[in-house]
Amino acid sequence: MSELLRCPPYGPRNDCRLLEELNALARHHLDHCAAYAQIWKGWSASDRLAGIPYLHVGLFKLGEFRTDFPGVRHGRTLHSSGTSGSASRIALDEESSSLQSQSATAILKDFLGETPRPLLVLDSAESLRARGAVTARLAAAMSLRALASEIHFLLEDSGEEVRWERVGAALEKNSDLILYGLTSALWTNWAEAMSPEPVRAKLSQATISFVHSGGWKKLEAEGVDSRRLEQTLLAGVGTGSRVLDFYGLAEQVGLLYPLCEEGFRHVPVWADILVRDAWSLETLEGEPGMLQLVNVLARGAPYFSVLTEDLGRIVPGACPCGRSGKRFELIGRVPKAELRGCGNV
Amino acid sequence: MFETRFVAGERRTLVLLPFNLDRLLDDWTALRSQMSRRKPDPFTRDEWAYLIGFLDRDHLEHAFRQAFGERESETRDPVHAVALPGGPVAVWLPNNVSLLGPLVLILISTTGNPVWIKSGSRGDDLTKAFLDYAVANLPEGSLREQLTTAVVAETFSREDARNGRWAADARTRLVFGSDAAVGAVQALPHPVESMGFSFGHRESEAWLETSACDDRTLESLLRVFAVYGQAACTSPARVVLLEETRTKALELRDRLLELWRTLFPRDPEMSVASAAIRDHQWAAARGWDSRLAPRHGSAFAVGDAEMPKPNGSRLLPLTAMTVEQALESLPARIQTIGHAVSRDRERQLLRRIVPRGVKRFVPLADMHRFGPIWDGQAFWQQTFDRMELA
Repeated sequence: MSELLRCPPYGPRNDCRLLEELNALARHHLDHCAAYAQIWKGWSASDRLAGIPYLHVGLFKLGEFRTDFPGVRHGRTLHSSGTSGSASRIALDEESSSLQSQSATAILKDFLGETPRPLLVLDSAESLRARGAVTARLAAAMSLRALASEIHFLLEDSGEEVRWERVGAALEKNSDLILYGLTSALWTNWAEAMSPEPVRAKLSQATISFVHSGGWKKLEAEGVDSRRLEQTLLAGVGTGSRVLDFYGLAEQVGLLYPLCEEGFRHVPVWADILVRDAWSLETLEGEPGMLQLVNVLARGAPYFSVLTEDLGRIVPGACPCGRSGKRFELIGRVPKAELRGCGNV
Repeated sequence: MFETRFVAGERRTLVLLPFNLDRLLDDWTALRSQMSRRKPDPFTRDEWAYLIGFLDRDHLEHAFRQAFGERESETRDPVHAVALPGGPVAVWLPNNVSLLGPLVLILISTTGNPVWIKSGSRGDDLTKAFLDYAVANLPEGSLREQLTTAVVAETFSREDARNGRWAADARTRLVFGSDAAVGAVQALPHPVESMGFSFGHRESEAWLETSACDDRTLESLLRVFAVYGQAACTSPARVVLLEETRTKALELRDRLLELWRTLFPRDPEMSVASAAIRDHQWAAARGWDSRLAPRHGSAFAVGDAEMPKPNGSRLLPLTAMTVEQALESLPARIQTIGHAVSRDRERQLLRRIVPRGVKRFVPLADMHRFGPIWDGQAFWQQTFDRMELA
């Protein structure tokens, strides 16, 4: 259990403590995960964040890393969406899952408030029944569970049509709801869909917190940007409604980076980020580069420090939104050059 | 039709083409000088340089010599066979392909057959880019006429109805790609008398001897690797250092790292740098002694013969092993062995690799050299119909 998780996510930071915990976590994985130890042979504790060992995000697509120590209870494997090829496989464990759940809840409460509300999930319940595996999109939806008084899945397993009667039923009981969906699904299945008149009437009086995550590639191809998505979503619902776009990845489960009111993403006190130059791996301040995300939550596999293929920039200065610590901008993905081979496809 | 005569031994073949072969070859050669002045955007520098090299007149004419013999000037001696274009050649390229499309286009253009080339629905379409470039930069003449009237370059998915139409109408099918994709195309209804050539997944290797490894040889190896990483079926999936020790393999790796710095001083694309970091870590995770090249253009890793080979698009694994071990651990579907070995070793190896299904055994620098015989299949020659006269 990290002491840092007892603190408010965006309160005063104790980066000395964070570094101490990260060093201990690195040692823990080096001692109990042979593959990880092979990569970071000879590593010793560091007095700076940049010295914390990391794994490239792509490794989780190539193999499954596990940290086996006495008492660890590995459970299901988390699979990323794998939109750009094969999926990442993250070995979940009981202890980390508990920490990750606490982390996600604290972050989301900071943005959405503490009051439990019905959670509508723009997905089917099918993934819940998958044995031994859980998809990243379901994990994202379930990170909202602690804020939910009840959960309704809005899609059937076999279709993409929203079951509007379920929305209507939820609105009968409560006019303040959270609705989660993948960004593209929120546009296609909700914003562009025609709801029946009775549901539409109820929605116009309801306060909806739209929460979404995931890539924009599909929507960008359709000419839909965040402004248009937000305007369209909010056009049909009541006052006080809002849209929350968060960034997260399967390899950093439990860590969510919602956009604040000022348009930045903030790092909770039990996590940190670095920006690295792709050609030297030097850390960058204020310049764009590859994001390295670290946290103190992952014990059953060494995904506590991950060099991502997401590009970002640390924004200097305090954020007018009042949250402390580093803030950053997400710029996009490492541009994918085509692999230009012949037969190996 | 224009006549060109060839002789192999006593056997003479008259090749009938819809153009004057010399003029067509001259046109390709002339395009080379245009190409050396400006590189169109879709191509990398390495790709463009490779294309310029490929258009060498002697190289293009080699396909005819290989199939029909040496050129022969006018003679009254009787011919024994007549060869003429057999009919439309349909080509299916894999996704993420680069030069294969332009190379096939160039080669088949010399046969006088109509050519229909399908690029993958994902990935850059360099075939169309090259065709457009050639048509825009060629003077009026045989080649321009051939390219504008007889070549179709399109991009569509594997579900598109054109797949079926092309299979039904083509006289020859050349299908490159994954085994599943190749199988699906060849299973489409096609005329009984048509021919299908399948080029599925294969792997290649580079075999070296320390005595043959001067810096020039190592630079060849690096160039062959750098252009595609591990993406091509002709890329060296591993480097085998024959009859040597792990220490020598480590020395070889370190020399490759030094040479990389001078050979490729520019920064690679960010995606390449990222892939190299990933591959370096993956190799290390599997117990290989890995090093990243300067500026992360690639990674080089040394492992023992019995260790499982790490895969990675920007990783070059190196292993010291005996000839016996190298032969025993050859991939089941080996395509090319690029070599840098002594003459004696070359002769010795030749005898031993033939029964192993190796399709090409060529000097390192020629590993990617695409030609009229591929995967052991003389596909270029088979696009002609032949009439035997004697």
